[in-house]
Amino acid sequence: MTSLEDDDLRQRVHGLLEVVAPPVAPVDAIIRRGRGIRMRRAGVAVGGLGLAAIIAALVLTPPAAPRPPAPPAPLPATETAGPGGVFARGVADGHAWRLAVQNIADPGYRCIPAITVNGTDADPVVPSTGHYADMALGPAAPGIGFAFLQLPADVRQVVLDGQESLPATTAAVCGLRYRVVGFAFRLAHPPQITVVARPGWPKLRATAGGAPPDGPPVYQLPPVSSEPPVPDTSSQTDGIWTNVGPPGAETAQGVIASGPTWSITLLFDAGGDCYNFGAPLSPGNPEVGTCGPISTPDGPETIVALPLSYPPGLHNAATGYAVQVSPATAHLRATASDGSTQLVTPRVVDGRRYTAFVIGKSLRLTRLTWLNAAGREIASTTALPQYGYTQFQP
Amino acid sequence: MSDPLDELAAPDVISGGGEDFSAFVVSRWPGLVRLAFGLTGDRWAAEDLAQATLARAYVAWRRVSRADDPDAYLCRILVNTSNRRFRRHRVAEQAGDPPDTAVEGPADLVGERAALLAALRQLPPRQRAVVVLRYWEDLTDAQIAVTLGCSPGTVRSQLSRALAKLRENPVLGEGEPG
Repeated sequence: MTSLEDDDLRQRVHGLLEVVAPPVAPVDAIIRRGRGIRMRRAGVAVGGLGLAAIIAALVLTPPAAPRPPAPPAPLPATETAGPGGVFARGVADGHAWRLAVQNIADPGYRCIPAITVNGTDADPVVPSTGHYADMALGPAAPGIGFAFLQLPADVRQVVLDGQESLPATTAAVCGLRYRVVGFAFRLAHPPQITVVARPGWPKLRATAGGAPPDGPPVYQLPPVSSEPPVPDTSSQTDGIWTNVGPPGAETAQGVIASGPTWSITLLFDAGGDCYNFGAPLSPGNPEVGTCGPISTPDGPETIVALPLSYPPGLHNAATGYAVQVSPATAHLRATASDGSTQLVTPRVVDGRRYTAFVIGKSLRLTRLTWLNAAGREIASTTALPQYGYTQFQP
Repeated sequence: MSDPLDELAAPDVISGGGEDFSAFVVSRWPGLVRLAFGLTGDRWAAEDLAQATLARAYVAWRRVSRADDPDAYLCRILVNTSNRRFRRHRVAEQAGDPPDTAVEGPADLVGERAALLAALRQLPPRQRAVVVLRYWEDLTDAQIAVTLGCSPGTVRSQLSRALAKLRENPVLGEGEPG
C-alpha cells in the first residue's frame, strides 16, 4: 500500500481539520476559568466560601496546630542510599513512608529503574538534574504529599522551609546513579525549598511565593492534590506522580488482550500504567482510557476497570479490566455475576506482566482469583472497581 | 546557559486579563480548536480542551506573552492537558462525528474524512498526537519531542507505528498511489 504517503496524509489531515468551524472565542469564559485555576493554586477556592468567611472561620475556630510531617530519618554520612535503594524515610501523621530507587521489572527481564513510595506506586525515571516529581496517596495517607528532586552533583543538600536540612543522596539501580532528595509534606502547605550548592557557590532558593526583586532564582513546587478525579484539569490522580522537568524514561506499549472486535492496550511511562479499551468495529466506535499507579513485582497489584459506558451500566455496555500481576501469577481467573469464568494468562510488556479481559454487558465482575503455575490459588478478592482502580496485595 | 533547575520555575504570579490577552485568545482560538479536534476527534471535547489551554495560558500569561514562540508554548499546554485528561479516569464518548459544517465536494470525500477521523481515534493518544503535530502543525521530530516530552527517537517510532496502523485502514488505503 503506497497511497498513504506524507503529502497524501498531510492533505487528508488538513481536509479533516480545515472544515472545523469553531464558534466565536469565549473570551470571558476562558478568563473566568483561568481565574479559577489561579484560585485553586492559591488554595483559597473552598466551595462557595469567600475569603472573608474563611478568615472568620479561622478566627472563630482556631484549629489545632498541625503536626508537621516528621523529617526524613538522618541518612548515613556517606550520603549513599540505604538497603533497598531507600534514600528518604519518615513518619507523617502516623503513616510510615519511604522513598527508594528500585528495579520494577520482573526477574529475568531488562532492568527498569524507578522511584517508589513504600515499595510501590513507581515513577519510572532516569537520572536527570532538575527533575522534580510529587504525588499523593489519597486515603492511604490523607493530606500528605511525597516528592523527590534530582540534583546536580555539586548540590550537597536542600533545606525545607529554612529548617529541615536534607542531604543529597546518591542511590544506584540498573547501573544508573541518582542524586536525589525526598521528603513528605502537607499538601496544603508545600514547603519552601532552598537548594544548597558547594561552599562558595550561590544558594538557590525555591519558594511558594513570588520572586524577590534582585533576589536569587525562585522556584515553586507545583500544586498537588489528593482530590478524586473530577472534570478538572488541575488535580491529579492518587498514586500517580506528576513529573516536572526534563523528559523521563522511554515508554513501552503493547496489546495485552484482544478479541474479534476489541482490544486493550497498555501504555507504560512516567504517567502511570495507562490502558485503552476500544471496540472500533462496534457501533459508535466506543473507547475508554484511564491510568493507574505503576505496581512493583513485590507490591500491591493495581486493578483497573475500563467501562465503555459512564456511569457504569448506564448504557449497558461491556467493561474491560486490566491487572498488572506479580511474577508468581501464572493465571488470573475472572468470575462474572452469572457464574461464568475466564482464565487469563499474563502477557509480558517490557519485562512486566499484565492481564486483561472483558466482562460483557449486563454482567459484573464479582471475583478475581490469582493462580500459580501449579494451578493453586494464591489469593482472591471481591473488592473490585466498576471504574477507576483499586490496589490489592495477593 | 540556563540553570537546569530552571525547569522548576514558578508559575507566573501575575496574570493576564487585559486587552492583550483577549486579542490573543481571539487570534488563537480557531487554530487551537482545530488542533484539539485532531487530538480528541470530538467537537465538544475539542472546544473544552482549547478553553482549558487558554485558561492555563491566562494563568501563565506573563510567561506566554514573553515566550519566543507563544504558539509552541500553547501547543505544549494543549497536548499535555489532553494527555493528562486521558490519564485520569475518562470515558470517551461515542466517536466524534465529523464537523457538522457544510462540506463541499463529493460524498466520498466526506466518507474519507470520517474514515480518517475514526482511524485517528483508534490510535493510542501519543501516536495520535504525533500524527496531528506532524501533519497539521508541520512540526519536526525535534519540535514534537519537545512538545510531548520525549526523545526524537520515540517520536519517529511512534509515527512509524501510527502510519502502519493508518495504512491498514481499507478506506485510507484506497487512494491513488503517490
